[in-house]
Amino acid sequence: MQGLSKLFSRRRRYDDISVSIREHIEERTEELVETGMARKQAEQAARREFGNVTLIEERSREAWQWPAIESMLADVRFSLRQFRKAPGFTAAVVTILALGIGANTTVFSIVDAVMLRPLPYDQPQRLVEVKSSEQQHFESSDVSYPDFFDWRAQNHAFDHLVSYHNTSFTLTGVTRALRLEGQVVSWDLLPALGISPELGRGFTPDEEKRGSHSLLISHSLWVSQFAGDRSVLGRTINLSGSLYTIVGVMPPSFRFPVNQPKDSFWATLAADDEPSEPHPALTNRGMHFLTVIGRLKPGVTVEQADQEMKALAAHLAQQFPKTNTKHSSAQVETVLQSLLGNTSTLLMVVLGAVALVLLIACGNIANLLLARMRERQREIAMRCALGAGRRRIVRQLLAESLMQGVAGGLLGCALAFVATPAALRLIGDSVPRAADAGVNLPVLGFALAVSLLSSVVFGIVPAIAASKTDLVTTLKEGGRSDTGGHNWIRSSLIVGQVTLGIVLTACAGLLMTSFLKLSHMDEGFRPDHILTFTFETPDSRYKDTRPQFYQEYFDKLRALPGVQSASGSMFLPMVDSLAVISFQNPEHPVAEGKQPAAELTLISPSYFRTMQVPLLEGRDLTDADNVKAAQVMLVNQTFAQQYFPGENVVGKKLKPGVGDGTPGGPPWREIVGVVGNIRHSATQLELSPAMYLPASQAPNWCCLYSVVRTSVDPMSLEPEVRRLVSSMDRDIPVTDVRTMPELLSLELAQPRFAMTLLGAFAGLALILTVVGLYGVMAYSVSRRTREIGVRLALGAQRSTVLKMVLRDAAVLLLAGIVLGAVASLASASVLKTMLYGIAPRDPIVLAVVCISVAFAGLLAAYIPALRAASIDPTQALRSE
Amino acid sequence: MAKNPEHRDLFPGALEIMILQSLRLQPMHGYALVKHIKQVSDNLLQVEEGSLYPALQRMLREDWLESELGMSAKGRPTRIYRLTDAGVRHLEKEVVSFEKMFAGITRVLAVARA
Repeated sequence: MQGLSKLFSRRRRYDDISVSIREHIEERTEELVETGMARKQAEQAARREFGNVTLIEERSREAWQWPAIESMLADVRFSLRQFRKAPGFTAAVVTILALGIGANTTVFSIVDAVMLRPLPYDQPQRLVEVKSSEQQHFESSDVSYPDFFDWRAQNHAFDHLVSYHNTSFTLTGVTRALRLEGQVVSWDLLPALGISPELGRGFTPDEEKRGSHSLLISHSLWVSQFAGDRSVLGRTINLSGSLYTIVGVMPPSFRFPVNQPKDSFWATLAADDEPSEPHPALTNRGMHFLTVIGRLKPGVTVEQADQEMKALAAHLAQQFPKTNTKHSSAQVETVLQSLLGNTSTLLMVVLGAVALVLLIACGNIANLLLARMRERQREIAMRCALGAGRRRIVRQLLAESLMQGVAGGLLGCALAFVATPAALRLIGDSVPRAADAGVNLPVLGFALAVSLLSSVVFGIVPAIAASKTDLVTTLKEGGRSDTGGHNWIRSSLIVGQVTLGIVLTACAGLLMTSFLKLSHMDEGFRPDHILTFTFETPDSRYKDTRPQFYQEYFDKLRALPGVQSASGSMFLPMVDSLAVISFQNPEHPVAEGKQPAAELTLISPSYFRTMQVPLLEGRDLTDADNVKAAQVMLVNQTFAQQYFPGENVVGKKLKPGVGDGTPGGPPWREIVGVVGNIRHSATQLELSPAMYLPASQAPNWCCLYSVVRTSVDPMSLEPEVRRLVSSMDRDIPVTDVRTMPELLSLELAQPRFAMTLLGAFAGLALILTVVGLYGVMAYSVSRRTREIGVRLALGAQRSTVLKMVLRDAAVLLLAGIVLGAVASLASASVLKTMLYGIAPRDPIVLAVVCISVAFAGLLAAYIPALRAASIDPTQALRSE
Repeated sequence: MAKNPEHRDLFPGALEIMILQSLRLQPMHGYALVKHIKQVSDNLLQVEEGSLYPALQRMLREDWLESELGMSAKGRPTRIYRLTDAGVRHLEKEVVSFEKMFAGITRVLAVARA
């Protein structure tokens, strides 16, 4: 209450102070008059002695104020008045800021979700991934079960070391057969992650043993397929013909790995223990398909674990040279690092780019403010004259900047709310965890910090420049004088903007060129009018009849209207999945651990015809190439050139390590044809050797993707295809229905995302820079009107004036371009992992960028230059 | 505190104590205070107006002083400052602590000279 009464009586207090001070000065004046001084002089002397009346009054009043808040409120009120006076200017500043801050906030919301948020497990910083790798190359690979078991038994660095690999099963015995993605894991996955089931229990060590079929299911699967019934525990369900017992339900937020679909399950590695297989996965050291993660023991660092695992891998390579020579080392990194991979570079580059855009925008605003300070000089000088201190003026101007910054920040956040979902659509699935991105509290905090920071960045220089106003000359000349030093500040701002603009545009140019190369790369086949999909043919029912089933199915498929040709393949191109397998070549026998390897794909007849891949030599596969016939294979052109250079490949015999179930290991196969190269990934640069085997001669291998070349819109065939498959077996659902162009576009999502964002930012940066340059030149011309008038009056040619202005612009541009080119070359290596088929220091791209910026800049300077050349000397001289 | 460079800066609290002491003798208005301190100190101390008025307001807020409407020596209305009981108590406390400080300083200087 006391504070309130103080507030109310404050007006009276202020009056008292004024009265006291007035009386003080008058009394002193009278004293001086009594000493014989003239009244007027006495008054002046008394005032001079007293000092700055306003300042002293203000300081006296401050005794009654909460000084910080009150003067801030005064600043705010004053700023608002300033904004009302210049609404257009304020709107421009706030809009530029809102765009810059909005873009930064959007990108940051993605960075936050992808890189900054901890993984949703207990103490995720202690979770690491262990990869198998080769000593010389740092290329890492998956891990085999026997290696994993040895690692698990011999390590001392981990509390738990667990393996997992994805799998998919068809759930039957429910209303509609359902294909489910799941993971086959070690028993101690849950203790390793530090997560407990919502219902039931986790696995026990015994459940890794052969014949055990225990299952954990996700919360959403529990709700959708079992109506959230608690009695689901202990229930047996049919997954692809095997019976599994549900022992637990995971909490709703649980996803493992983090990008696992919501409807999912986890089975123990007993699911891989099939003794009837020719090469049982659990004992085959050559089958690398596991991901291994571990929880570090407390106090153990990633480096220590890395050392230990490297030693273990080297030891295993000595012990098992046949299988482990190419896996003689290991790498340990945190699960988050391994999940992000190159994505962190991508995101950092995008975040850096968008920050540069904001910096350029700040440069523009600073230049706008500097120009405006000239108009406001009289006002500022007046405030100085009335007793405002220099710091007070800087503070007031900064307050204006801060308010503009906050306004821009608020608008920017609103923009980010809209832009984040749009950016996420652009990203698609190409960036892990991005889907969780949204504008939340940390993101808003970031936006606020960026707003305040940029306010200071663009506000401080104009504020300090303005506070240096020379009071007397400014007031005398009616505000026409120019504060010293503005010119070089404005010029350096422009040079800085051009520099940053060049760096950004060069980055965008490189990414664009790289993307163009990627999207115009020859895939080796014709992707249009191809429909792809898959379905499972579970071992439980198709173990012996798979080839017959597929042959009948493809015959029926080819008979559908709109289908030109159809075939099957174990791996689709453009999805970056492949198998690599070693083979024996009798002409070049080598020790068992060092055999050459090539991509392996199982296919059905007419695969190459459907994909429109040229058959270069020999023949294609036919339905006659079945289990009973002679064992055959095809190879691609790269294979032929690499392993049989200059020879006729057709007729050669090789032994790829693919078992067909017959005792005595894999058979010898004759190469019957050579086909053109197909890319397995849109971002694959070097074509690799590949082998194609008839699926009918390896009947244990499941399952084939169907590829269908259509004469109609491929997607329009989807219902027909589903009907066909369910007419043959109603328990096998068709999944992954996609067109080939769709797969291609998904593969290119990440490079496209990088290119689109950087392109947009570079464009924005260029526009801002060019507008900034235009502003500076126009301002300089308007200030030099008189000087140019004099020149013209003294007989200067108009073309000389034009050249003079253009030359000024060219100097600034050139400085910026040179600095920008140097900066681009220096920073180019950042992009290395994001570029395909182009060097980060590509001279052509840089040259094109520099020339276009120079051209755009000169164009921007041309308008003010033209205005300068058309100045009427008489008018110009009269006006001042 | 002093305009003339010959005059030393006063330490914190010195201005307040002088104002309080002056007003203890009789209530005064601002200009009278300045003149009084100048006279009593034989021109050694000169109070700067830039410090005086903010200090007066601070002391009003602390309730060491109260102000009332009065007449100046020239018969014009002005604010007259008067010491309150709280001001007297504060002054006495401060004087004691100042005297201790002076005594301390004097001793240290004496030792240094010896």
